[in-house]
Amino acid sequence: MRAMKQLDPKPEVMARRSEIIAGLRRILPERAVIAQAVELKPYETDALTAYRQVPLAVVLPEDEAQVVDVLKFCAAGGVRVIPRGAGTSLCGGALPLADSVVVGLMRMNRILEINYADRYAVVQPGVTNIGITQAVADAGYFYAPDPSSQLACMIGGNVGMNSGGAHCLKYGVTANNLLGLRLVTVAGEVLEIGGAHCDAAGYDWLGLITGSEGQLGILTEVTVRILHAPEGARAMLAGFASNEVAGECVAAIIASGIIPVALEFMDKPAIHACEAFAHAGYPLDAQALLIIEVEGSQDEQADMLGRLREICERFAPVSMRVAQTEAESAAIWKGRKGAFGAVGRISPDYLCMDGVIPTSRLGEVLRRIEEMSAAYDLRVANIFHAGDGNLHPLIMYDANDPASFAKAERFGAEILTLCVEAGGCLTGEHGVGVEKRELMRVQFSESELTQMRAMKDVFDPQWLLNPAKVFPL
Amino acid sequence: MVVESGEGVSVVSARVDAALPGGVIVPRDEAELAGVVRDASAPMLVQGNGTKAGMLRPGRAAAVLSTAGMSGITLYSPSELVMRARAGTALAEIEAALAAHGQQMIAEPSHLFGEAQTIGGVVAANVSGPRRISGGAMRDHVLGLRAVNGSGEILNFGGRVLKNVTGLDLTKLLTGSFGTLAVITEVTFKVLPVAGAVGTIVVRVADAQAAVAVMSAGLGSPFSVSGAAYLPGSREVYLRVEDFAESVAYRCGRLAGQFAGAEILGSGESKALWLSIRDCEALPPGEAMWRVSVRPSAGPGVLRDVAFAGVTGFLDWGGGLVWLSGPATHEAHEAVCAAARTGGGVWWLMRGPEALRAVVEVMPPEAPALAALRRQVVAKFDPRGIFNPLKMWAA
Amino acid sequence: MQTNFTPAQLADPEIAVANEILRRCVHCGMCTATCPTFVTLGDELDSPRGRIYLIKDMLESGRDAGAEEALHIDRCLSCLSCVTTCPSGVDYMHLVDHARVHVEKTFNRPLADRLMRAGLAWVLPHPARLRAALLLARPARGLGFLLPGHGMLAKRLRAMLRLAPGAVPRAAPLGRVYQAVGARRARVALLAGCAQQVLAPSINAASIALLNRLGVEVVIPPEAGCCGALVHHMGRHEAALAAARANVAAWMAQVEGEGLDAVLVNTSGCGTVVKDYGFLLRHEDCAAGAAKISSLTQDISEFLMKFYEPVRAAPGLSVAYHAACSLQHGQQVTAQPKTLLRKAGFKVVEPKDAHLCCGSAGTYNLMQPEIASALRRRKLDTLRALGPDVIAAGNIGCLTQLAGDGVPTVHVVELLDWMAGGEKPQALR
Ligand SMILES: Cc1cc2nc3c(=O)[nH]c(=O)nc-3n(C[C@H](O)[C@H](O)[C@H](O)COP(=O)(O)OP(=O)(O)OC[C@H]3O[C@@H](n4cnc5c(N)ncnc54)[C@H](O)[C@@H]3O)c2cc1C
Ligand code: SF4
Ligand code: SF4
Repeated sequence: MRAMKQLDPKPEVMARRSEIIAGLRRILPERAVIAQAVELKPYETDALTAYRQVPLAVVLPEDEAQVVDVLKFCAAGGVRVIPRGAGTSLCGGALPLADSVVVGLMRMNRILEINYADRYAVVQPGVTNIGITQAVADAGYFYAPDPSSQLACMIGGNVGMNSGGAHCLKYGVTANNLLGLRLVTVAGEVLEIGGAHCDAAGYDWLGLITGSEGQLGILTEVTVRILHAPEGARAMLAGFASNEVAGECVAAIIASGIIPVALEFMDKPAIHACEAFAHAGYPLDAQALLIIEVEGSQDEQADMLGRLREICERFAPVSMRVAQTEAESAAIWKGRKGAFGAVGRISPDYLCMDGVIPTSRLGEVLRRIEEMSAAYDLRVANIFHAGDGNLHPLIMYDANDPASFAKAERFGAEILTLCVEAGGCLTGEHGVGVEKRELMRVQFSESELTQMRAMKDVFDPQWLLNPAKVFPL
Repeated sequence: MVVESGEGVSVVSARVDAALPGGVIVPRDEAELAGVVRDASAPMLVQGNGTKAGMLRPGRAAAVLSTAGMSGITLYSPSELVMRARAGTALAEIEAALAAHGQQMIAEPSHLFGEAQTIGGVVAANVSGPRRISGGAMRDHVLGLRAVNGSGEILNFGGRVLKNVTGLDLTKLLTGSFGTLAVITEVTFKVLPVAGAVGTIVVRVADAQAAVAVMSAGLGSPFSVSGAAYLPGSREVYLRVEDFAESVAYRCGRLAGQFAGAEILGSGESKALWLSIRDCEALPPGEAMWRVSVRPSAGPGVLRDVAFAGVTGFLDWGGGLVWLSGPATHEAHEAVCAAARTGGGVWWLMRGPEALRAVVEVMPPEAPALAALRRQVVAKFDPRGIFNPLKMWAA
Repeated sequence: MQTNFTPAQLADPEIAVANEILRRCVHCGMCTATCPTFVTLGDELDSPRGRIYLIKDMLESGRDAGAEEALHIDRCLSCLSCVTTCPSGVDYMHLVDHARVHVEKTFNRPLADRLMRAGLAWVLPHPARLRAALLLARPARGLGFLLPGHGMLAKRLRAMLRLAPGAVPRAAPLGRVYQAVGARRARVALLAGCAQQVLAPSINAASIALLNRLGVEVVIPPEAGCCGALVHHMGRHEAALAAARANVAAWMAQVEGEGLDAVLVNTSGCGTVVKDYGFLLRHEDCAAGAAKISSLTQDISEFLMKFYEPVRAAPGLSVAYHAACSLQHGQQVTAQPKTLLRKAGFKVVEPKDAHLCCGSAGTYNLMQPEIASALRRRKLDTLRALGPDVIAAGNIGCLTQLAGDGVPTVHVVELLDWMAGGEKPQALR
């Protein structure tokens, strides 16, 4: 562990380590308990590797009954529990504590029901995001939220983080595409929330639980809405001479009344890194690139693209290109969706920010980030969901140099503070986790935090579930 | 602070305030409201203009706390698709301001409750219209809200940006909580441009079952159907498409091609039709009114199962939303509850005489574990139990 | 990702390479979901990211490999699906190769394991030994049920018996020059392979016949032998180097003699390794030659793109193309075999999850029978769902693994040769 303070392990739990492991072995099949030091190591972190902590044990339950047993067992012994999906969190959401049991849900990966007439699917938490779409694609359907990590991230984690994606501009984020959940509380009680119908009666538990980052319980089942795919989709690329001009173009598009399915932004370093990975034909001479996608029949696409071209042309684009084939569109998205990893080609380490700003402040905020980048002497690649103002500045640093990481952390905090000051928020889709925990005070007052903590108190009175995340210590 | 009592209050439905010794308290701003709450010593009915006072359980309180004195749009940025308004702002005012910029509320909240309903009330009751199935419910578009909790603390959750996962989503928890947790004082929500054109496919069918088949085919098509309703009276299914005129023409054509004898309505007729569906104009007048949400394929079963009790209605949301009206009897109510249960869904008693509303389950009861959590959640927001007690649940 | 090596450790060139590979990994986890063992076992430790982390920890600490590292590294199929997925360009192949050598050097495997591995390493790369072994095993094929127990050894032996073919085809003598028919348009060396020669001599026969008919002269120098892949994947570094050196020498003699336009490989598992000779032998005297050979090496389907012409009328058969991992991930050869099959007049269909391995992976199906058979079942289910007339692949390992489930399996080249005037493949007769 570096910089970020962590909760001290409970001595009484650490002292009972072998007893706890033996207890877990009693209630779970042998292959479901991992307790060897060597084997625990790869579970010490998620996709934010700057924070690491080897847990006390890892368990991999195979069904809800096992999850219930594990939670009852842990609650009885005051043992902390870290729910984990695919471990792709970018905010340390699945970071263990030394005295915690990590509950990995990846073995609960079955699709339980698909209903086309009523347009929903019931899946276990370990089903990957793209796995849902793949399961219904033959019938022409898809599951709309599409985080760039969709190949790997799991629906349980998506609900945990209320994940978004490039196509959320039109289709909404995870919370807008759910119908029901099953949640096991820390006391081992199974709550059924919602169902296969819209809008549950009573409080919106579904809304509260979505994005709660594993604070309220462990999800064992998720009912998602599935949608019929449009007739077709086409992406277009527009390169601009500066970040600001591209930002103005985004505002002009939204103001014109056209809501594209996706409206994504990349700056020059990002364009270069992604092109090296995807060979999508991104314009290497542009300072900023917009990826704009429209849907519908061939004619509808052409019509929309025509309107969008007209708008882009007002901003003197350095290049404009419409994908001619599905393969070209796929390559364009492959580059965008592989963007974070692709930055690994130009820098060994990065911190990915996730602030949101009002879109009208785009140009100004990007300029400020550029200035900070110069001041901190750290490069930044900007990749983000421009349509909804969700920024992902990737701060490049060298993890083998502690000073560089400390600088990167400060730089990140400054960017997020700027986002809040500009009228936005700390995180649009990646969550608070451990990374932004201490910044919560920038956005919320003490009484607001207290009100949130009170919800945690209700669901998890001992604060055993994923503690030391979300709320400042 | 304005404290009014007696007959002269225009903003509160007379029926409610008549019997209240504490009268109607109408704070002019949030700070004042927080002060009222801090000083309160007895339960209060929390409302905007009280248009939904007849929904769910009848309130029992000494006074009415109304947000009607806090009105006005405080932020509107059309290019960012965001509007913010004080809770007491009339829905009509909001809709007019949006229309002036060619924009609209995505969930198209129903005007069933009359012209006086406030944005705070629309959010607190999570009122959504036909577009809920494609564009989402009111709860999906509330980006942020300010509220005063039962301790009189002013809280601000969410924000004004389109995406936000910072902290627990108490915005969603408060949306649809009927003023039982906190008094919403200001709401920020997402809006969208009004589509250039609207088209409707009208398909005549034999019964509700066939209607749902048509609606499922429409909603399961690639043509972005944004409304799907069935009126048993006319035996007509309506499928709505909203987009640029060329798109609407094309998609209506493709959709109509799927169903023998389908007719296409143009923009003008379509708009009027969907307003009438939104506002339940086709619902026969009855002493009581319910709303049932089930999976779409279960909608026809609900209609069938309640008929014996003299309850009738129509289907929206592709069959998933059943609007019902009928006699305000226990028998009718039980029939609705049973039908919703059989369909695996939920019900709300939307309107009815106090005598009925006070004694029946106006919504399905929660499982015991959830009810226990809910009681604790209420206590954390409103420890003294002063906001709308018993509005949603008897205990 | 951060690494923790001392300057002294980094002075070791092998560690320096590993460090560079590890530094490229950003631990994003994208690769986990396309890894066959993660999909089957659902444990980070059996995913590429988990293995990378295990290897990192093992190398950083400088400790000997233990049972845990050996277990999870052994379970890796080296299918390289993770490499195709990785947006960062992490060179997992060389990392896991290095780790296997480390395991082999420092981990004391249980006796049964050692015997099994030594036996396979002694038999498989040598056609004569393999042929003899198969002839011995043949009478025992049906007797697998007599091998009791749930131990790994019993499972492995049962797996071996299941894979042993019912009839061992007659070995065709190889090792000479095969003249082009008509004017010579090119001259190539063909890797004759080891196990494939014994299990399916028809593949080499079809390859040679097809190439000759297309005007390509084929040479199989008698000094060239097994490519070294089998031992390489067991971490037997020296044996692998020896095999590689022998082949480089044999082919370079041709390059420098009559000349070669390409070195062709029709077993993609071998192709991946031959294309990597340049790296494998980078510290050897023959480094330059090895690099030259690697650059000349092509999968036979790549080479045929320029030459292939069918002559027979389309047979109206539906071919389920199974992409061998070594071809699609190891060599990134994806379109060519399908393009050629379509050109030959076949209807080409592809299964769901085509990126997943069938579980063959060299000796994997013998060493890890449980995972291998789960992957086999999964692959066959997705292939059969297509209702194909025949399953085609470019790798003998896959063909053996997928055989015996009611759908004939043939090498792509056999189908191409048939449509270009050759014999109808035995499996379709
Ligand atoms: C390359 C890359 C690209 C990304 N792109 C996007 C993007 O475009 N949009 C986006 O929104 N995010 C993105 N992310 C972030 C990340 O993928 C998401 O947060 C994702 O939803 C995490 O899913 P997971 O299965 O990996 O969950 P984990 O990381 O394992 O866990 C995430 C959180 O959910 C909790 N959790 C997991 N499963 C459960 C469960 N069953 N019950 C209760 N709690 C649970 C965990 O405790 C943790 O707090 C990206 C990440 C990477 C590495
Ligand atoms: S995809 Fe590449 S960068 Fe990401 S974890 Fe896997 S190997 Fe590392
Ligand atoms: S090579 Fe194959 S089995 Fe090995 S880690 Fe990569 S994807 Fe998994």
